[in-house]
Amino acid sequence: MNILRLFSCLMLASVLSRATEIESYQLRLTTATNGTGQGLATVKMSGCVPGQMNIPLGFTKIEALTLEAAPKGVRLEPGPSNGQLLLHFFLPEGIAPEATVQFSFTVPRAFQIIEPGPGEKSTLPAGSRLFRHAFVNTQETTIGSYRFELLFPEKTMAQAIREQLPKPKKSEVGPRVLLSKLEGRQAATLQFTALKQGDDTSMQLEVVPVRKSFGWLLGGLLLAAAYLYYFRDIVARKET
Amino acid sequence: MAATDTAQPKAPTLHELLDMEKMVLSSKTREAQSGSERWMRYLGFPGGIALFLLVYYLPAGAGLSSAAQAGAACFALALVWWVTEPFPTYVTSLVLMFLLLVTRTSNAKAIMDVLGMEVIWLNLLAFILSSMLVKTRLAKRMALWLVVRFGHKANWALLAFVILQLALAPLIPATAARCVMTLPLMIVVAAIYGSTQESPNNFGKNLMLLNLACISVLSSVTMTGSSANLIAVGLIQNMGGHRVYYMDWMRVGAPIAIITMLAMWIIGQKFLFKIKPEDQVPHLEGGLDLIREQYAKMGPFSFAEKKALAIFGVVLFLWMTDTFHMSWFGVEISAPFAALLGAVIVLFPRWGILQWSEADIPWHLLIFSAGAYAGGLALDDTGAAEWGVRMLFGGMNLKQVPFGIAFTVVIAVMMYSHLLTTSKTVRTLILLPIIITLAKTLGWDPLAFALPAALCIDWVVGLPISGKPNVILFSTNQFTVMDNFKYGMVACTLGVIFLVVSAATWFHWLGITPAFWAMPQ
Repeated sequence: MNILRLFSCLMLASVLSRATEIESYQLRLTTATNGTGQGLATVKMSGCVPGQMNIPLGFTKIEALTLEAAPKGVRLEPGPSNGQLLLHFFLPEGIAPEATVQFSFTVPRAFQIIEPGPGEKSTLPAGSRLFRHAFVNTQETTIGSYRFELLFPEKTMAQAIREQLPKPKKSEVGPRVLLSKLEGRQAATLQFTALKQGDDTSMQLEVVPVRKSFGWLLGGLLLAAAYLYYFRDIVARKET
Repeated sequence: MAATDTAQPKAPTLHELLDMEKMVLSSKTREAQSGSERWMRYLGFPGGIALFLLVYYLPAGAGLSSAAQAGAACFALALVWWVTEPFPTYVTSLVLMFLLLVTRTSNAKAIMDVLGMEVIWLNLLAFILSSMLVKTRLAKRMALWLVVRFGHKANWALLAFVILQLALAPLIPATAARCVMTLPLMIVVAAIYGSTQESPNNFGKNLMLLNLACISVLSSVTMTGSSANLIAVGLIQNMGGHRVYYMDWMRVGAPIAIITMLAMWIIGQKFLFKIKPEDQVPHLEGGLDLIREQYAKMGPFSFAEKKALAIFGVVLFLWMTDTFHMSWFGVEISAPFAALLGAVIVLFPRWGILQWSEADIPWHLLIFSAGAYAGGLALDDTGAAEWGVRMLFGGMNLKQVPFGIAFTVVIAVMMYSHLLTTSKTVRTLILLPIIITLAKTLGWDPLAFALPAALCIDWVVGLPISGKPNVILFSTNQFTVMDNFKYGMVACTLGVIFLVVSAATWFHWLGITPAFWAMPQ
């Protein structure tokens, strides 16, 4: 019995040691004003083993899934969706140990639509939109680094980062979500390293049009002028 | 009749000076005294608005969210108003809280929750304990003893407080606790030297500001001086790969802090707020003899005093032994909860000491703190603070400069950054990782930047909103925001100078820093 257990362990270890590893998983979603998004993902793999390999994709519904670049013979098929989609990659015999695959897809509804029910108050001002992205590593293989870049629609910017999880560890420098500029637009980047099976990461952003009311300017100037007039006695020469 | 009008007000008697129950922590706005102060107050209001509009309408940086930009604009406005005081500071805090909401920087819950923060509770409870010391006359006895022993001249009285704060710093990590313990003594000693909240003089300014600086700065003597120090030690170990031991910290932190405070003891009274010769001695007819007489008249400790001493002893014991609580009680009784226990005993019917109505709680001060914390948290939550630091370091090309120059920049940023934050912990968590990463990027040992930078964590002395003790001491009305700023900036600049000189000399001999003019590899 003990020998059988030992044999099973050795077999399992050998299978695990030969599993394809994901070094990095980079995903860019370019969103448009109409609320759709165009995604492009790049997955770098090492220790590639022929056969099926599953990679989760942090969206529930996508269209036009296309393999853009991959070693010869690699196939991609959409898998089941259970909270998030699972993609099946089929790696052919004789694949090189190091491989990079790139695939694109369209997200028909990138932004969340929150409509208040009858009698409920709206929690978002007009023009604001919410975007949420969550990713869970549902597979055995550890993902070396996961990076998701969201390019906002033209003429919009982040009002606030409402969620960025998990909280950065002491050893991590910088926030989980970083705002920056990519391709001339404001973008938000979610990054997380060493995602083991079950690890998840997410972000939620509120996106607003880039325009500012001149009410503050008008109100501020009026208030300042009124103060200077009505409070001028503060510096008035006092008779002694 | 004319003679009556122009007559000098009668000097208060010792009995009047020591009637501490009349010394309520005022919410009155201090009258602007000098012409420049009046102009500052007058122009501060539009100045704050102008700065708000400038920051708010600046083209948004790509790394900044709209909420972060609005938060920075609101905080800038409040900072100008707190310093120039066109309104009382607590009104500015209320304005800030409203602006944070309407600019959508923070939500209502986040803003309102600030009033329930641990630090607000600690302040509230500390004022109850302080009222107990006043009511039982224990504070008066301790103050008289201090003056009889050291108060022959103003400078020795000030030095006595430096020594007192130095002795308390390693024992009680909670700065607010240390402040509240010594606050009644400060009020009485200031009064003896003629400085009251109605007519403060430069002795009072020196006394309050020196204590303010000592309470915060002397926390950097030991690594257990504040919880933020311990966080820094953890970051240096996790990210920098260096274990910092208690003595490692003390041998670099203690001399800097102590020398700076001794320097401020001299600079404050000789240059910043020069004490007039007549304020150098107790303001009493009969001088010290009268104080000695009064002290003798107090006789032995009363039962109420003993009770107050016992209650304070219990709280003090809990404050000092917080590291053992988990093993003793299975739960950590944090500083506010230790004070809460003390307050419960103090307010207990029949057995206690105070009625609720007798507790002198300056609510305006708690509102002022709440606004400051709401603003500080908004800067942190929206990422504005971190973005600012990244932009600052990123904008400087520190790769091409010798170690000493990069070190000076890092220390200066760490030291003065406290003006824009209201939490030592948040500042440590934002800045230390960036400094460690910067050191690695530049090719220096992370310890060379991180340990000296960590020594600056506790130097929160620039503004009344910068630290808990500052807010408490500000309530005495003995100094203005501008006085605090002036004193704090001099202290911080001295600290930077001493740290830079140390980096060039004995930090280098200790093996912490490389040669001052060494270039990155």
